[in-house]
Amino acid sequence: MTVDSQGTATAGPQDAPGRAAGKSQTPPPSSGPKEVLQPPRGRRSLPSGVLPYLLVAPALLSMAVLLLYPLIRNVILSFQQLNRKEFITRETIWTGFDNYTGLLGDTDFWTVVVRSVVFTAVNVALIMAIGTGIGLLLNRLGKKMRLLLSLALMFAWAMPIVASVTVFRWLFDEQFGVVNWLMRTLGLSGYDQHNWFETGFSTLVIVLILLVWGSVPFVALNMYAGLTTIGSELYEAAKMDGASGWRTFWAVVFPNLRSFFMITTFLEIIWIFKAFAQVYAMNLGGPDRGSETLPVFAYIEGVGQFHYGVAAAISVLTIVMLIAVLSFYFRLILKEEEL
Amino acid sequence: MSAAATPTPQKLRTRKPLTVAAVAKNLGALVLAAVFVFPVYWMFSSSLKPQHEIMTKDPVFVFTPTFENYRTATGVDLFWTYVTNSLTVTLGAVLLALVVALAASFAIARLKFRGRKGIVLVVMMAQMAPWEVMVIAMYMISRENDLLNSIPMLTLIYFVMVLPFTIWTLRGFIAAVPVELEEAAQIDGCTRGQAFRKVIFPLLAPGLMSTSLFGFITAWNEFAMILMLNKEKESQTLTLWLTQFQTAFGSDWGATMAASTLFALPVLIVFLFLQRKAVGGMTAGAVKG
Amino acid sequence: MKRKLIAAIGVAGMMVSIAACGSESDGGKDGGKAAGGDKTLTVWVMDGSAPDAWMAEVNKAFEAKHPGVKVKVEKQIWNGIQEKVTTALSEDTPPDVLELGNTQTAGYAVTGGLADLSGDKAKLGYDAWNKGMVASNELDGKLYSAPWYAANRVVVYDKAAFKKAGVTPPKTRAEWIAGLKKLKASDPKSQAIYLPGQSWYVLAGLIWDEGSDLAVKDGDKWKGNLSSPEAVSAMNFYKELASYSTAPKDKDEATPQQSTDVIPKGGVSSWIGLGWEAGGAIDAMKKAGKTADFGYFPIPGKTADKPGSVFLGGSNLAVAERSKNKDLAKEWLALAAGKEFMTKYAAATEGALLPNTDSAQFKPAAGSFAEAMAASSASGKVTPVTPGWANVETAPNPIKDYMTKVLKGEDAKKAGEAADKVIDERINQQ
Repeated sequence: MTVDSQGTATAGPQDAPGRAAGKSQTPPPSSGPKEVLQPPRGRRSLPSGVLPYLLVAPALLSMAVLLLYPLIRNVILSFQQLNRKEFITRETIWTGFDNYTGLLGDTDFWTVVVRSVVFTAVNVALIMAIGTGIGLLLNRLGKKMRLLLSLALMFAWAMPIVASVTVFRWLFDEQFGVVNWLMRTLGLSGYDQHNWFETGFSTLVIVLILLVWGSVPFVALNMYAGLTTIGSELYEAAKMDGASGWRTFWAVVFPNLRSFFMITTFLEIIWIFKAFAQVYAMNLGGPDRGSETLPVFAYIEGVGQFHYGVAAAISVLTIVMLIAVLSFYFRLILKEEEL
Repeated sequence: MSAAATPTPQKLRTRKPLTVAAVAKNLGALVLAAVFVFPVYWMFSSSLKPQHEIMTKDPVFVFTPTFENYRTATGVDLFWTYVTNSLTVTLGAVLLALVVALAASFAIARLKFRGRKGIVLVVMMAQMAPWEVMVIAMYMISRENDLLNSIPMLTLIYFVMVLPFTIWTLRGFIAAVPVELEEAAQIDGCTRGQAFRKVIFPLLAPGLMSTSLFGFITAWNEFAMILMLNKEKESQTLTLWLTQFQTAFGSDWGATMAASTLFALPVLIVFLFLQRKAVGGMTAGAVKG
Repeated sequence: MKRKLIAAIGVAGMMVSIAACGSESDGGKDGGKAAGGDKTLTVWVMDGSAPDAWMAEVNKAFEAKHPGVKVKVEKQIWNGIQEKVTTALSEDTPPDVLELGNTQTAGYAVTGGLADLSGDKAKLGYDAWNKGMVASNELDGKLYSAPWYAANRVVVYDKAAFKKAGVTPPKTRAEWIAGLKKLKASDPKSQAIYLPGQSWYVLAGLIWDEGSDLAVKDGDKWKGNLSSPEAVSAMNFYKELASYSTAPKDKDEATPQQSTDVIPKGGVSSWIGLGWEAGGAIDAMKKAGKTADFGYFPIPGKTADKPGSVFLGGSNLAVAERSKNKDLAKEWLALAAGKEFMTKYAAATEGALLPNTDSAQFKPAAGSFAEAMAASSASGKVTPVTPGWANVETAPNPIKDYMTKVLKGEDAKKAGEAADKVIDERINQQ
């Protein structure tokens, strides 16, 4: 069934859903199922009318009220001077594009942008690579080992962020850290009081370890789940052809799980780019502001200094950047959607 | 056990005698498990330590466990109010999201209509929403509408937070159910509604489970909104309870870790409960994109 | 079986959704109003500020005087308090009375969120207030809050270590350094003093000793002053002190918490701390099965006739401008911060916190922390009183970064200039 439906999904007719439907004001859905059988293998073959709109209405409505509206308000705020005083007196002071020009002309802002982009790229690459690796490993393990490893992954996933950041800070603490102890125990010198947060770079490396550790379970467990949907015949076939593990991956696994990779990468990019608590709590963006990523920068410049207008402007710029970076993704996924 | 509910896992079983590769992969799995579990173990073991053994120059591995930290953590005022609020908000948001998403994703996956593609795009973009920053805007909206310190409001916010992902994933699941099954049901005289309930819905079990798990984790851990919107203790949740033991006058790390351990438990329980299906679920949805 | 279960979950979900929509309109409207014309006075105090018994006594007295009024005390934690107070002051039903850190009060006063108390000076006992503590409550000639309590840091030392090294509590900076030298020689494995690199309140005291300040007013603008020769020599003295410590250069005294996480482990002969920190260290050592034998002395000054300047940290009590019970709130404030209850407060805290009036002062026991603290409180000062100061203090605090840089070898003047630039930018904003 699985392989089969996979085939259907990728080889279906290239219809243009937008154009085809909508015009026919068909009667209520209950009297519908007459024309059902025409395109025998098409996915969206059932008659429509108002039904689809009724079905998506609650979702769209709630997103409009609780997501779009706050987002618009946020954009409006970004054109205001909204400091603590204005916030408390509920005064509105319009400043046009001041918040934006201030940011775009600030070299610190651009440093942070570049840092965030690089940080996200490295992070997501590592998460995907390690996650995929562990997913493949899970697929090859015996039942008991697999349960053990997936439990371990799940534990990591379930750990609250407050706790994981605290524990990571302990592990790498200068005076009482387990990592320094481990280094000393292994006989390495210079780790009596090694400061793992000496530079912005070293701090970000530790944040990276934390983020990778926290994000890999999602990828690995899903990767494994995805692998279970690939029929073993495909593996057998590849093996018969004498393909190496590496080739099998690219020839069998990757094409079959293309959507999985695409969507997971998409989600991870968003999540890592937006990660705030882990970066901020680790070293407050320090030392000397060297480990600030965009959300941390937004917090420090905006909320921390009570410049809510600036914070709003940064968030708008963040969204614009994300959309720009991910636009090719949107296209890819939408294309997939047409199939 | 509904056989149809999960795509039967067809794993590659290598039944070989003990080889170097087999040893290596099992050893690798062990090491990985240790690496992933260690911080969790450290949280848990710290929760059982007396304060002076928590941060030490040489880590303490052997100690006499104490439940003092758990007593401190659960002994705070309004603890059970926080528990109730957290459960209400989280379960409310997840269930609401499932119902609303089910309808929407069915339409997106199964029906032709004008604007379908646009909706897919909206759902995709919605996942990029910068909730942490939108806190201020959300705060102002709530303030204007007298919705501060409101549990229903918080539930609705969390519901919208998890909605896009839920729609996204369920859409994949519905698309993966062969249309023929539904058609067959309709030929048998089911209405479309019945066909959905009797045929598609049961097949969605893994999808529903996996999305609930994800939604549960998201809503359960949410911090920024609640911090800003609900200042009254009676309307706060467990995420704020977690940070309560870190004060300017010294942090009670033991209690923090005990609280964190307790906090992680429901997620683990939900996972173990959903495990078989959930793991299969999360991506079958994505995979069938 | 399972299908039914899942269907049931689905139905339950739908019911929840209906319930949630139904209650949407009337949710969260029942804030604060008690039935029958009774009033509730909400008081926000910081966790750890007021002993519970004392607070209960104040409220009992207040409720007896004002029948039908109920006082609701809500303890707040310092973490994220600025955001919380800011948003609270913007709401229609803010807490009536709030405790504010004294370095942050001016920042709120300028927003119009605090009630002007200038007309209530007599009722509040303005004239009797400790002059050093009053400054932070006033802005542009108006009174926005009442001082409540203050505390300053002293040097806490391990009596045994000092005895072993033959060191007695110093009176001057020179004696202090000489003592640290001896301590280091007597026990090279211990830290003569534990001084993390970012204890900026300690540095502030040293700068005040030089007759200067962290920031100075220049016309109607403020500017950072860390690159001034006075600040440079203060920082260099700090560096000299820190050279007797192996504490992290890029952390303050709270990460890790020196009192509970560092000192109790031993190996530290002296440290600079507040009363609650000394108490916390003693408790933590007791729990770990050790006994603390601490002595205390004021931070030495440049000369023996005057102890070193210290930061007078503390809290003020303010009334929210939007409070619906402003008069009651002022009454409560007058009672809690009045002489009678301040005397009880000082006694309840055994002198670990200074009350707002000298006459309410608790007579500290000989050799106690409180005694050393009282001895130096006359040299107490506060950070520059201007609304923008709160911005300087928020993370990332430029003073802290400056200290770390100097301790790691950067030139104090150069690092000071960089820090001043940030301070200039922040301090003039409201």
